[in-house]
Amino acid sequence: MKRLRPSRWTGQLLLAGAGSGGRYGCASRRPAQHLVALSSSSSSSIRSQSSAAAAAAAQEEELAYDGTDHERFPPLDRIRPADTSYPSPAPERALQSAKLAALHARLSLSPKIPLQTLARTLVDASADGNPQFNNSNLAFVGQTLINYHVTEWLMVRYPRLPMSIIFSAMQGYAGDKPLHQVARSWGIEPAAAPGGEVDPGLLQFSAHKPGVSLVKFGYKRTEAEYLEKFKWRRGISSRIVFDDDFGQTVKATPGSEAEQSLEQQDGEEGEEGPVPVMQYGNADTRSAAETAHAHAVRATVGAVYAHCGREAVKNFIKSHILSRTLDVSKLFMFKSPTSELATLCAREDFEPPVARLLSETGRASRTPVYVVGIYSGKDKLAEAAGPNLDHARWAAAMNALKAWYLYSPGENVRVPSDMLSEGAKPWEPAHIDIGEVISR
Amino acid sequence: MTVKALQQISTGRNGVGAFILQCKKMDIHYCDWAGSSRGMNGFIKSILPQFAAAHPQIEFTVSPRPSKHPIIVGHYINGREKAICVRNMEPLQILKKAELLRDASGEKLKRVTKPVQSINDSVRGVWSPYHGNGMQV
Repeated sequence: MKRLRPSRWTGQLLLAGAGSGGRYGCASRRPAQHLVALSSSSSSSIRSQSSAAAAAAAQEEELAYDGTDHERFPPLDRIRPADTSYPSPAPERALQSAKLAALHARLSLSPKIPLQTLARTLVDASADGNPQFNNSNLAFVGQTLINYHVTEWLMVRYPRLPMSIIFSAMQGYAGDKPLHQVARSWGIEPAAAPGGEVDPGLLQFSAHKPGVSLVKFGYKRTEAEYLEKFKWRRGISSRIVFDDDFGQTVKATPGSEAEQSLEQQDGEEGEEGPVPVMQYGNADTRSAAETAHAHAVRATVGAVYAHCGREAVKNFIKSHILSRTLDVSKLFMFKSPTSELATLCAREDFEPPVARLLSETGRASRTPVYVVGIYSGKDKLAEAAGPNLDHARWAAAMNALKAWYLYSPGENVRVPSDMLSEGAKPWEPAHIDIGEVISR
Repeated sequence: MTVKALQQISTGRNGVGAFILQCKKMDIHYCDWAGSSRGMNGFIKSILPQFAAAHPQIEFTVSPRPSKHPIIVGHYINGREKAICVRNMEPLQILKKAELLRDASGEKLKRVTKPVQSINDSVRGVWSPYHGNGMQV
């Protein structure tokens, strides 16, 4: 099989068609022709991802004399007047941004990843609706890669985890909240408001206008509204089939409705209607900020994949996302642990579990402690201490179940994607469990 | 469905996996008239270019602060900042201060009595009075 070279695909990240200068919809279908047009003209109304195109345009505007001594106090940032009319900073300004260069170095990214792409990862779809200038495409690639690597690692590391716990652990590693924290730990700062004049090194999103970004897999259930309203039960199987990678229902409707509303807004921009009152610090704005930060991380992962390839992105995910700590044993909540343990023992042909009191103290006092062990035949499955006999027995049963579910073949297990590297040792099949305990 | 899932967020530990330098920005302020900035001006001319080149992960800004003492302000990933006044210092002394800001975590200074902090479970487990042979009194 011929080897694919993703690094050669990245030209399109830098060379978005010039036809995208018009806002939405008129994406370029003739990139070659437009590139020719770009190199010859330097019209400031054309927005493109190529840095060569606008290099000449940047020099043509001289700053008007306003009484300041420009030699002593040089202007901080040369911004062309046309830049302020764009919803996000022009790609060529990425090369001048100190924040962006610092972020690039801080993440120890390969020099193969240009600053323009890194700048693009920081533009959320809610700031710039044009998919050729926002990060939604990169974020989609990034989220599939992150979710794939996290899932395969969880599956091999803890082969017996029930599906609901896998969903929860996925959310704990790759959901919006943990990725938001990753973005914060990278030192990504949000801009006060998105716009063309903003430093490209700042994360740009709008907390009030939802963006049109297709970043999630998943089927929108027709009964989605009723699920929340009437608290309908969703089975695990239907969650696997219909819902997103975290077992959550797909809620937002990216696509037709949101696009229409955006187009309407565009039409209204010229008329300058009354500015709506912005509210900050509520749950909606917080979740919008969280999503935007998470998308920036996903897009960065996507950019690493696009420019450096599979091995690099695997290492990047491993060092930034999988290296985080999550105590999986704290994700379990059992409803009837004793009966579930009895079912498990019956399924595995163990002798039925028996709880025995191992030691006790202070039975007549205010704070008694009972230590209860659970035995199957002569084997002690687990033990726990509790303030009364029932609690100790339940806790012991939970410990026994956790000991079963959290079986792990080791800390440094091989994952299937290790086989993709050249010269990998032959694959030894991973442990595949027959499934979680299903009790009545 | 007897097992239900609770939600938790993974916690990151800087340096486990990737290491991110906590100082993200350094503001360097000088005055080109006052005598207390003489060392700072020398630092900016002779030492700062190499120092900045050696630390690409820090964003450096140099700006005048007329008629004031020279200062260095470090901005950190946790949102805090640290400012050090470097009046009347020699360039090499200022370099020491810049290195101090670079190496700081941005946290408030506090006395460290237990040098190792960990979120991992204890290897030995928690001592229990109900196990073992006990002690005869």
